[in-house]
Amino acid sequence: MNIWEKMLNLDRRWIFLLIGIACVVPFFTPLGLPILPSEEVISIYDYIEELGPDNAIFVGFDFDPGTAAENQPMGIAVLRHAFSRNIPVFITAVTPMGQGLAAMAIDELTDETRADFFSFVSWSEWSAIRDQGITERAEIEEAWIAEGNLLPERSRGFIFEGRDFAHLGYLPVFNLVILGMSTSIVSQYPTDVAGNSVEEMPMYQEHKSLREIDLAVTNAGSAACTWWIIYGREKIGLPVAFGVTAVMATDYYIYIQSGQIIGQMGGLRGAAEYEVLLLDNDYTSEPGKAFIGMDVQNIAHLLIIFLVILGNIAFFAGGFNKKTKLKGRR
Amino acid sequence: MKRSIPLAIVMVGGILFIIQYFIPHQHSQTLFDYYTEWAPIVGAFALVLGVGSLSRLHSHKIKRKAKNWQYSYAVLIPLFAVPFFALLMPESLGGGLMESMGGTRTTQGVFDFAYLNVQIPIQSTMFSLLAFYIASAAFRAFRAKSALATVLLLAAIIVMLGQVPIGELIGKWFPKIGLWILRYPNLGAKRAIGLGVGFGILATQLKIIFGVERNWLGGAGE
Repeated sequence: MNIWEKMLNLDRRWIFLLIGIACVVPFFTPLGLPILPSEEVISIYDYIEELGPDNAIFVGFDFDPGTAAENQPMGIAVLRHAFSRNIPVFITAVTPMGQGLAAMAIDELTDETRADFFSFVSWSEWSAIRDQGITERAEIEEAWIAEGNLLPERSRGFIFEGRDFAHLGYLPVFNLVILGMSTSIVSQYPTDVAGNSVEEMPMYQEHKSLREIDLAVTNAGSAACTWWIIYGREKIGLPVAFGVTAVMATDYYIYIQSGQIIGQMGGLRGAAEYEVLLLDNDYTSEPGKAFIGMDVQNIAHLLIIFLVILGNIAFFAGGFNKKTKLKGRR
Repeated sequence: MKRSIPLAIVMVGGILFIIQYFIPHQHSQTLFDYYTEWAPIVGAFALVLGVGSLSRLHSHKIKRKAKNWQYSYAVLIPLFAVPFFALLMPESLGGGLMESMGGTRTTQGVFDFAYLNVQIPIQSTMFSLLAFYIASAAFRAFRAKSALATVLLLAAIIVMLGQVPIGELIGKWFPKIGLWILRYPNLGAKRAIGLGVGFGILATQLKIIFGVERNWLGGAGE
């Protein structure tokens, strides 16, 4: 067995070890290479930038933990953008796991030990303000502060459950749920995941069906994201944006070109681009998880390309392109 | 009877909702609203069938001591334990007893523990393994054996480099060419496949509605 044959029969465990190192080392020695946001991501950012407290959006956590490394930072970045602009957000999930991941995203954004957190005010905590008939976003915050609740240092602002967001959660057969919500949100979700009445929520009172929603951002790890186009975009003209995994991204460029989606965050790169836009526009003071994770992707991609080139060199230099079969087991 | 009743339901329902889509009238909308309320409930019955079928399959495996029968316990125990704990602690059904769901960060039930510490890590780990296998497969299988394979190889390398910031450091044109590949050649191919699939779905659906395609009956009534 010559050197080229030995190289081609390299034990796969060496490759696994190299990938393992490539995935771990960048976390300890960050490269922090600049990331330029693409048109597909900027268009989502710009669209949300135009919205405010009078609008409302849907954010779908339509993925399982398997793709959370890519999808979760997208969901968090969009939620951060919406919360910063006081845009009411209805949060849904196509999968049962997605519901828990959405809750984790809200918890991460409201975690007081983290930088740039939002001060969470639960539905029950501001019931006295609602009882006074106050439902306007600015007036709620004013009344809340007047009650002696000061905004903690380093907090980016208050988020009021039922006014700024409603975590609606998972429902089965979600394509039909989208269809149902095109008539009435409360027909599908009478309560949120905590059991609070959605009908009583001021954000619902102002946006009763998908026809009154300004955007649906689906962060998806499966083709379920297309339901939002089929039953939302095409049936009632709901603007839709995608956040999808890198392997899925190539499938959905057709919807960008046809104008059926306003933009797309593709994989970790897409999430990192959105984080860069938030960072550049002072919605956060530090880069998010996707931006940090891009270092790993940098090294891993280079390593895979190096392995492919190495494999080809060995293949041709050893003359195996002229032979029918390679010796060896691995 | 076993065949004709389901076929009739499918035909009537299918034609009704094709027509409904084109009738912008209140009665048509009311019918549609009824459907969207009922359909998820009917669909949820599939869950009962699924759980029943899975339980039967694995309990049979255990009884017969079939190959790897021990793993059937790993299916059956969580299958019934998770709903059991969820029923005991309904507030944690969301997958975590978290502040945003009416809980606190400090309390954690069995259901939440299983979700956060078993289910999430298991699924994440399974998906993460892909990176290792893709690297190994790329090393072994990605060969420039022919002109077409070489085009594929070059496109893959350019797109991979175009997707990461380090690619731009190597050559400023990597992201541009990578995006061009995604936006034009990739898009053309995907659109062709998408149209083919779309027409295929349409043809199959019409065949099902009009009773030409009957495989979905699963041999009932034969």
